[in-house]
Amino acid sequence: MGLIDETFRVALSDLYYFKRNIIILTLTSLVTPLLYMLAFGFGVGSSVEEMDGVSYIAFIIPGVVAINTMTSSFSTISHKLMVQKRFYESFDEMLLCPVSKSALILGKCILGVLKGSICGVILLALGYLMTSDLIISPQLFGMMILSCLIFSLLGVAAGVVLPDLAWTDLFNSFVILPMTFLCGTMFSLSSVPQIVADIIWVLPLTHTSACIRAIALGRDFPWISFVVLMIYGTFFFILSWLALNRNK
Amino acid sequence: MEYIIEAEGIVLRYGDFVAVDGVDVKVKEGEIFGLLGPNGAGKTTSVKVLTTMMRPTAGRIVINSVDTQNDTVKARSMIGVVQQHYAMDMDISVRENIISRAVLHKIPYKTAKVRMMELCEAIGLTPYLDKKGNELSGGWKKKTAIVCALMHDPKILFLDEPTTGLDTQSRHMLWDIVRIFNKRGATIFLTTHYMDEAEALCDRISIINKGKIIDTGTPQELCQSIGKFTVEYDSEDGKRKYSFFHNRESAKQFFDTVSERNPIMRGTHLEDVFLEKTGRLDITSLEGVLDGTD
Repeated sequence: MGLIDETFRVALSDLYYFKRNIIILTLTSLVTPLLYMLAFGFGVGSSVEEMDGVSYIAFIIPGVVAINTMTSSFSTISHKLMVQKRFYESFDEMLLCPVSKSALILGKCILGVLKGSICGVILLALGYLMTSDLIISPQLFGMMILSCLIFSLLGVAAGVVLPDLAWTDLFNSFVILPMTFLCGTMFSLSSVPQIVADIIWVLPLTHTSACIRAIALGRDFPWISFVVLMIYGTFFFILSWLALNRNK
Repeated sequence: MEYIIEAEGIVLRYGDFVAVDGVDVKVKEGEIFGLLGPNGAGKTTSVKVLTTMMRPTAGRIVINSVDTQNDTVKARSMIGVVQQHYAMDMDISVRENIISRAVLHKIPYKTAKVRMMELCEAIGLTPYLDKKGNELSGGWKKKTAIVCALMHDPKILFLDEPTTGLDTQSRHMLWDIVRIFNKRGATIFLTTHYMDEAEALCDRISIINKGKIIDTGTPQELCQSIGKFTVEYDSEDGKRKYSFFHNRESAKQFFDTVSERNPIMRGTHLEDVFLEKTGRLDITSLEGVLDGTD
């Protein structure tokens, strides 16, 4: 109970921020995934009959939801944390409060989980209107929230490890953006050369995409991907903890 | 217990650079203690180490009988910190900033609201409670930071250059706030490079330069250490010179010898002590540039 209580105490200022800006934050996060759904789903999708045994729109909607869990959560958390660290210097104040580092890390994730989940629900609702192949289930929402948490943890790690916003932009350009397009979100990994597929398999979004798609399309759940995601989440948490623990 | 803060042999290194070099500080309960130093002397770094924001490379810090490295959480519960910068979220309101900080200190929400209203009424912040941080002037931001730091009723309040960048009215208002909370029992540790601020507020002062404490005492003791009387006069190279004397007679005698050089005889100020201890900046090369000889 102590950790949960402390986690929400840490999250309070971010929740105030989210309450003030909920419409702007949600709308800005929805633009890119909606464009992916329209451009790839209807544009490219009209010339692709099916992919992995389902219609192309049914194939990419879980992929777009997976992308949203990553971009919404990661960018929100890493940017907010960097601003609080470098510009407002309010993050230092949090370090002075009697809360554990674990609560600090998890508390900073709450905003990303909340925003990513709200956007994810809207995207799934829109996707459900576009195709009847999707299975909306509690497991799907659970997986989406877990995915938001993992990428929020990556956002916290980036926020505390990277020195400034220029580095965050660099990380976005060289890690987040390539993952967006490569990790089996828009196309099946069976269509790329094996060596490329092996490299892509290492990236976390590949596994998020695989898990969300399996649940949404009623397929066998890829437990290996789930374990890989758990390992990534643990790694991001430990990285954040070590960064907070070291001297400035 | 006589000392509420005891720091011994504090060292902080960044690679080869030593930011804090064997600092010893002892602060008595209930006093206003000042750490006075020029820019880059190590004041802010010392505060960050004392307040557990940074871990020292060496040394030991005890706050109210709690070793900060053994029980950081307990030590933190006893201190409030007002940082040099405003250290508040600018995109939420003053009220939200204050409540968030109180909740982080595990103060129940209802108690936090009552205490916030008391503190804000006391320092006139109430009309600004619903303004966002970025809508406030520097003085009101600093007031918000002070209320945030006082929400958990700390025994010790650290103020890092609290009046830097503020206008005269705001500076004097903050001095009064510091005095009020000191009278109510809080120990105050403040850093400043303003001599008038140190003289007006501090019971005792340490002068820090290049990461080392070079002297400690009351403002009067520090002034007496170089001489209670000062004679300032123009030197032959056009610069102002200062000579210090322990008694009026010797000061008067010297004054008479420089009577042609616009001398002034006066009591020694803390600023004189500070400049004597930390050194004056050399502008010889500037003169060379202006003369065209350099």
